[in-house]
Amino acid sequence: MEAGTAEVVRSKTVSVTVNGTTYEREVDARRLLIHFLRDDLDLTGSHVGCDTGNCGACSVILDGTLIKSCMMLAVQADGATIETVEGLAEGEELTELQKSFSAHHALQCGYCTPGMLMSATALLRSNAHPTEAEIRKAIQGNICRCTGYVNIVEAIKSVGETS
Amino acid sequence: MTETVAPPQPKVVEPGQPQKGWAGQNVPRKEDKRLVQGEGVFFDDIKRHEMGYVHFVRSPYAHARIKSVDVSKALDVPGVYGTLTGDEVAILTDPFFELSVPPGAHMKDYALAVGKARFAGEPVAAVVASSRELARDASELVEVEYEPLEPLVDARVAQEGDAPILHDEAGSNVVWDGTFDWGDYDAAAAEADHVVKIKELHFDRFSSTPLECSGCLIEYNKGTGQWTMYCNHQMPGVGAIWMAPALRVGLDKLRFVTQDIGGAFGNKICLHPYFVACCLLARKLNRAVQWTEWRTDQHTANAHGNERWFQDIEVPVKADGTMLGFKVRATDDCGAFPRYEPLGCIIWAQVTPGCYRWRNIRVDFTQVTTNKSPVSPNRGYSRMQHLWLTERIIDIVASELGLDPVEVRKRNYVKHDEFPYETPNGCIYDSGDYARCLDIALELIDYPSIEQKRRDAESRGRLLGVGIGSTLDSGTNNFGQSMILNPDLQFSGNNEVATVKLDIFGEIVVTLGTVPQGQGHETTASQVVADILGCSPDDINVRPGHDSYWNSHAGFSGTYASQFAVTGLGAVKGAADMLAGEMKKLASVVLGCSADDIELAEGQARMKANPEAALPFMALGAILNANNAGLPEDLGVTLNCRYVYRPPFEKPDLERKYGNLTLTYATQIHAAVVEVDPDTGVYEIVDYAAVDDCGKRIHPQIVEGQVHGATAQALGAATHETFPYDADGNLLTPNFYDYHVPHALDMPPMKNGFIESESPFTPLGAKGMGEGGGAGIHAICAALQDALRARGKPVVTDSCNPYHRVWALLQEPEASRAGVEVVSR
Amino acid sequence: MLLREVEYARPASVRDAVRLLSEHDGARALAGGQTLINVMKSRAASPDVLVDLQDLAELKAIDLAADGTLTVGSMVTYTELVESVEARARPILGDVCATIADVQVRNRGTIGGNVCSNDPTNHLPPLMVALGATMTIVGTDGERDVPAEDFFIGVYMTAAGAGELVTKIVIPAGKGDGFAAVTIGKDGTCIVSAAASLDGGAPRIAIGCVDAVPVRVEVSSTAADAVREAVRAANLDPPGDVHASSGYRRHLAEVLAARAVEQAEQRRN
Repeated sequence: MEAGTAEVVRSKTVSVTVNGTTYEREVDARRLLIHFLRDDLDLTGSHVGCDTGNCGACSVILDGTLIKSCMMLAVQADGATIETVEGLAEGEELTELQKSFSAHHALQCGYCTPGMLMSATALLRSNAHPTEAEIRKAIQGNICRCTGYVNIVEAIKSVGETS
Repeated sequence: MTETVAPPQPKVVEPGQPQKGWAGQNVPRKEDKRLVQGEGVFFDDIKRHEMGYVHFVRSPYAHARIKSVDVSKALDVPGVYGTLTGDEVAILTDPFFELSVPPGAHMKDYALAVGKARFAGEPVAAVVASSRELARDASELVEVEYEPLEPLVDARVAQEGDAPILHDEAGSNVVWDGTFDWGDYDAAAAEADHVVKIKELHFDRFSSTPLECSGCLIEYNKGTGQWTMYCNHQMPGVGAIWMAPALRVGLDKLRFVTQDIGGAFGNKICLHPYFVACCLLARKLNRAVQWTEWRTDQHTANAHGNERWFQDIEVPVKADGTMLGFKVRATDDCGAFPRYEPLGCIIWAQVTPGCYRWRNIRVDFTQVTTNKSPVSPNRGYSRMQHLWLTERIIDIVASELGLDPVEVRKRNYVKHDEFPYETPNGCIYDSGDYARCLDIALELIDYPSIEQKRRDAESRGRLLGVGIGSTLDSGTNNFGQSMILNPDLQFSGNNEVATVKLDIFGEIVVTLGTVPQGQGHETTASQVVADILGCSPDDINVRPGHDSYWNSHAGFSGTYASQFAVTGLGAVKGAADMLAGEMKKLASVVLGCSADDIELAEGQARMKANPEAALPFMALGAILNANNAGLPEDLGVTLNCRYVYRPPFEKPDLERKYGNLTLTYATQIHAAVVEVDPDTGVYEIVDYAAVDDCGKRIHPQIVEGQVHGATAQALGAATHETFPYDADGNLLTPNFYDYHVPHALDMPPMKNGFIESESPFTPLGAKGMGEGGGAGIHAICAALQDALRARGKPVVTDSCNPYHRVWALLQEPEASRAGVEVVSR
Repeated sequence: MLLREVEYARPASVRDAVRLLSEHDGARALAGGQTLINVMKSRAASPDVLVDLQDLAELKAIDLAADGTLTVGSMVTYTELVESVEARARPILGDVCATIADVQVRNRGTIGGNVCSNDPTNHLPPLMVALGATMTIVGTDGERDVPAEDFFIGVYMTAAGAGELVTKIVIPAGKGDGFAAVTIGKDGTCIVSAAASLDGGAPRIAIGCVDAVPVRVEVSSTAADAVREAVRAANLDPPGDVHASSGYRRHLAEVLAARAVEQAEQRRN
């Protein structure tokens, strides 16, 4: 490759660090990051709930930024550091947020929960004591069909109030 | 059930009253630890070596003859494992059995379209390949030649002479029709001071759209001829009854396995066509195959809630506001195939008079097919549509006759002291206090301040309105109601199974026949068992999910129709009671006393009189399971107890369409306050109260969570969620981009209240309550009508009212008013 | 979810990006991907080559000149605009960007992607027209500036042609701006939007979702009746769809234009 000119590839070996583990995999350019995480790395905690980028079930934190992993190609994540729901707890010790979700019954079927937890985690890192309005705005991109959000908001608020 | 022994008056538990035992407490959910760590196992998380991914080729036409299907180009693609076409399906399977009498009985439904496509998105062929992407690529190479036919999208014209016929074999678009006539409507009309006539009301199509779409991983065991389906089917018992005869195998050849399911809400009951296609592929290719439905697939081609038209409604009313009943012509649109239908043609009758003492009701009910997605029993199934009618009747009548919507409800509600109350069609409302629930709801929204708030809103250029939704959530079906539709059906009653065993190291293991999707069955089952066995819920291992090989299921097993607290926990209680008896018996033999002298407490079987003489559960488990020499021959103890709970039902009187169709009736009374911007039709829900009465609450937090969720779904359905089709039969809201479901900013602040009117008919005093009857839809419709009253008194005639519909009501109030007439004596 | 086969390149310079875009037929720039990848999921569009702009630091700057002129790199995300101190010089920018979709989308979606996709429901095309923004387009033949009014030429079509790249958007100084929209749910997709600016003489009004491109409406007064009359006089013929009839959109255009102007007046004072 000539210096300063990028080559065009149909697939590529990417290296990503997910929850502290570095993975190297050959991946097609067309593969979405969510499929790469779930099918290639077998990290099935992040979910798929739509095909239009609306539901947020696939939310992960990439290089410190909350994103939806269904609107990014896996090849774009080459070199990135990714946090998913599987990496939240330290061993058996759940985070305060995870405990609060359980204590407040902020999950029913649990399918939106991984994405919701990542959105709430990102919120609390930038704003340790969010108001209800800030919480609702922060989880707007995460659809839950079970809870009406009532207890999710309470669970996040409670962590903010006690931290 | 025409002869009913009057049960005792139900017990009413006041909020704050202390509870004894684990049932009634908010214990931590057993499910949560895995789910908050992303360690749940949903069907799409499961993989098998060299598995193939299935992609369906779908019809782009709503109605078309299939002239040819050519898969050769797809098969030429490296990495494609195989295909399946409608022609193969027609040879290898029989049509799924139909529940209806003719014409519906003659409609032929297969796993893939055979001969004709009847809705846009219907699977026509399937391709299996080594990756998801490749399967989709190859599916685009399948060449299907269609001859487009005129589509039928409006159920109201389905019976007209020139309407296209979907199912030629049936010769008609009618699935089922019949008249329900209870009391004496004509006499009521003659007795009335006013008859209010409403030309047409429309309950929109929508779906609760579980966040996880449908799917399965299916393995075929060539040696035994058995399929194992790792899936998210929510009603495997009935799924197997559809699938096994179609596949020409016995029921036991189909093993359904679920662990975690990402919501279902009735949308995962009719998965059998997809599963049969996958079973055929797994067998044909001798390979595990996996099918994941994506969101657009789900919206276009899984299942919607039933759409229903109510026409020529007449309501006889006395001068004092007493309503005597109603008559209506209902047309239900079930989409292209009946599948679970025509059960929706009778399910509504569980709540025939709604919350009201209406004694004279005549319903002409017709269900038709259209070239749209099939339906399935979406949360609130069929009752929600009907209850919406009853609430629209109340508010339209009140508006036209100048009656107060609160007073007219209280005047017509079934009264607290009338329970158990027998409806005109023989259903027994078990317990409740509707007026009290309404009072609590009104208090929560500070009803006395509404007029002041209305003036405040006016000063800001907004129109404020308040609305009430009164509903019932009828639970625990008597499947005998299906015989009212088709006397030849051999279904009646209901059942559910649980097993509870004490294992060798003292573990208590519970298996359920149900198929939970977030309702917390592991948790509530452990509460019930812990109370009976005298231990902690932490000591109880409830196996997550469902597995047909556990033998803990029965014909009606599943999670649907608001019944777990009755049937599921009834089975758990029965099995735990059996085990408790056996443990006492075994302990009495070991300790040399009578079983009556033994109590179970603190994880031990011990002598009541001498708690020192105790056997820990582990000892009991070890003795029976591993060290049993010398035990009496006639001991009769297995420590592995299976119980089938069977609710007390009779077969209905088919001639009169009369009988008790459900065991319990939970109440939901909601109140909503909306503010409308009259310049745009945009509105906001500014206050909301939901009051629930589901009898004994085993786990109050879970109950409240169900109330929140049902309310959110109803508010979505009231405001934005609808599945309209264009004239060509294309769905206009095929995914979450256009189908807007409420997010956290859309939801209003929610206030909750409850009372507990225990059911006298159920093992624990609990009632099913998960569906919620759509109270939010009714309340929002009423609130919008109230808000717009000052602008020409338009009538809200649709269940879903997006901004453009509100704007249309503001623009042309007289258009909706033209359908309403009051004839006074 | 399952995209067609596509090729991918990740250039390190604008020059190389332009080379890639011009050398490959069917190449498209991939900015934040919050629209393009969704379109590819439905296979409604399937570029042959995606040129990923994420490494182009030169497209990520926000500069505020002494005269208040704001220059925003095309790869600046909505979140960066919302949080940028410089961008507060034209407050409407951050305020509108804060209502686009959701946190995740704002974290990746870019101002350049928003204007270049030119979906008629997008927030920024009418806003850019109202603010009098100018887009800088780079191609193999060099660089040119195109005023927003001329930039949007059709649904999903802009003046940036094949082989070209929008590198920055220049927004003149001002504060008398307004934006009003009726959306599907709170902060949702626009059903109709209207942007207005009172800086620089007569009100500049642009209406979104009523035509393939933002519609400029000329009016000399800020009085609500005058604005509504001007919108009426524009004889809009918006499309009807599942969210709004043509007539409803036409009506909303009037109401929202007046509201945008009213908000612009409040902000100016």
